[in-house]
Order: sequence, then structure tokens, then C-alpha cells
Amino acid sequence: MRSRLPVLRTRRRYMAFELEAEGARTIQPKDLMDEIFAIQFSLFGESGAAANRIKLITFNGRRGLLRCHHQHLSDTRAVLAAICSIREWRVALHTKGVSGTIKAATEKYLPPLHEISGESDGRRIELVEISGCIIRTQGLEVDLCPDDRSKTKGSDTRYLGLTSFDLSGGHEHADGTADGL
Amino acid sequence: MSFYECLKAFPEGAASASRMALAAKRLGYQGIITCNQEPHKLFRPDACEKIGGIEVILGTEVVASNPKVLRSRISALRPRYPFLMVRAGNEEMIRAACEDPNVDLLLHPCDIHRPLGIATARAARQNQVAIGFDLSPVLYLYGQKRSRWLEASRRNLLLARKFELLLIITMCASSHLDLRGPRDIMALAELAGFEPEEAKEALRRPGALVEQNRRNWLGPGVELL
Repeated sequence: MRSRLPVLRTRRRYMAFELEAEGARTIQPKDLMDEIFAIQFSLFGESGAAANRIKLITFNGRRGLLRCHHQHLSDTRAVLAAICSIREWRVALHTKGVSGTIKAATEKYLPPLHEISGESDGRRIELVEISGCIIRTQGLEVDLCPDDRSKTKGSDTRYLGLTSFDLSGGHEHADGTADGL
Repeated sequence: MSFYECLKAFPEGAASASRMALAAKRLGYQGIITCNQEPHKLFRPDACEKIGGIEVILGTEVVASNPKVLRSRISALRPRYPFLMVRAGNEEMIRAACEDPNVDLLLHPCDIHRPLGIATARAARQNQVAIGFDLSPVLYLYGQKRSRWLEASRRNLLLARKFELLLIITMCASSHLDLRGPRDIMALAELAGFEPEEAKEALRRPGALVEQNRRNWLGPGVELL
């Protein structure tokens, strides 16, 4: 509710964050918001949620902006950090920075998302230690679906996180591109 | 800011050491310490050297069936690795780990039925063993179990403050998706009862311990320069 007196108006902060999801999974804003509210209610209860009204301003599937109360920044960070899965897909949310206005937060922490979306070319990797299909490559990062599912046992993930350096077989000039792989 | 994180890499985790290093570098860590139970089986440790701007330290987690075996394994592993971690499950193992000055980090199970004891705290203080708080249950537990865990960690923290123990906080990440930024971990640590400065110091501690262990000590307080 908007106060008539400007001095009584709540001071807001805008927190930019980045979402890292397993594989090439796209997370919907509604699913993300449901998870944020569930964690907030679980950690701080209803009165805590009332004191820090979190609102999702923008989210493009990878980066987003969240509004919160200026005295509850640490709580908001904790809520984002405590999210580990959305709709049974492993995710990680990392806070990029905090600003007082949407414009400043967008300019500082949310650069235009140039399309470096993950490639999925179905190549196979056959090494002594691991074998499987490449699910996604993005820069140096490679997500591999292992043939032996017990390789990811204990960490709740579907895919193995590797880099192109791991798969390059000790090649000195591996640069994370197709040559490295 | 010289923050370090202790983690498990493939084959004991779900991401290779180089992927962990890449993710940790992006999050702002100065280094990571791999604490696999079998560090000689680590997948492609040489690949980490190609990830510039982050230090990857090869540590180990000591596992044993009883205190006698634990002590012998610790003395065997100490000269080979700059960081030794013990994840103790029962009171006997906790006492054995606390009474050994070669142990760097004891990860205490934050269980409400098995809190940190006074004798254990005193031994840890005397032998300069750091007490570790694994914050991953904040992510994986829910409801009553999480509230019990938070209560136990706050209780342990009170005793640790009373005996001025060295504290370390870690997420014990086994995948790159388990890693969190230092400030996010500090926010989670505040939930578990840490003061902000205390949490910051606890994140820096592993790096300081590794730095100390790399120096050539002839005996307590005597260093070969």
C-alpha cells in the first residue's frame, strides 16, 4: 500500500541475479517465483515475508531482477542461495549485485544477453574414466550425460559438469572450441 | 578477498575439478580445496592448471573405521597433502580427530542429539583444530529437519565462541551447482547464527591454514627458513 507521506514510503533495493540450470533447461518466471516464496516462507515465516515483500521485476530465463526491502538484503540473498532445485531440476542462483534503482541495476549488472545459448550436438565422449553424450557446451563448460548413471550419485544432478580441458586429452592448445573437444 | 571453498570433485562429486575451479573463479573465490577421500583418483587434475586466476589445492578427507586407524591414516597423509579434513560421525571419531594436531578441519555433524562437547572443544582449542560447519543442509533439508539443524548449529556455535575455536564454513559442494558466492554463503551463515565478520573470517580460514602448512615447520613454533 502506498503511503501518503514520502518519509514513510518503504525504501527498495533491486537485486540482480543469475540462474544456472542443469543442461539446457529453461526455467519459467512463475516457477522461479513459486520457489522463492516457498523458501522465504520456510526460512522466515509469514511475518518475515510480510516485512520483506520480494517481487520479481524481470527474468529472461537466465538473468533477472528482484525487488526487496533495503533492510532485508541479507535475507533476500539467503533465500536466493537456498534454492537448489526448481520443478526437480537442479539450479543455482547467484547474486550479481544490488542497486537502488531499476535503471542502475540493469545498466550495471544485467548486460544485454547475447545469444550464447548452449549447443546440443549429440557428440559422444569415450574415455577410460567416463563415457556419455554431450548435452550442452557453452564456452569452456561441457555438460555430459554419463552412460553410467551412478557417476552422479549423491549429488542429485543428472549430468556431469566438465570443461573442454578435461576432454582434450592433455592437448596443450585446447581452447574450449571444437578443437579442444 | 582470499576466500576458499572445500569441495569434492569427480569421481566423488558430479563435476570435475576444472569445472569447479571455473565456477568458483566466476563467483569470486581465490581458490578451491579438493577434499576427495581418494585424491589420487581425481579426474584430470592437470586440467585445473589451464584455468587461470584461481588456485586449486589438493587436499584430502580422511576416513577410517575406528580412532586407531584414523590416527595412523592422518600421520601417513599429513606429509603428502597440505589440507586434511575429517568428517566424523560418532563421538569417538570426533574426539580422536580433535586430539590430533595434524588435523586441519573437523566437520562436525550438527545433530541436536550429539552437540559439540566441552571436552571436544577444549581438545580442539589445544590442538588448533578448526571446527567446520557444513551449510549444505540449509539447501537440502526442509521444515522441521532444517529448523532442528539450525538449532544444533547455533548451539555448537555458542560453545565454539566460548572456547574461541577456529571456525570454517563450507558448502561441501559436490557439483558446480552446489557452489554459492562468498556473500551468499555469509547470508546463509547468518541464518545459522554467525556474525557477518565471523562468517567472513571463517571463509578465509582454509586459505590461511594451507599457507601455514606449506611452511617448513621443524616443531611447534620453530620454522626452517
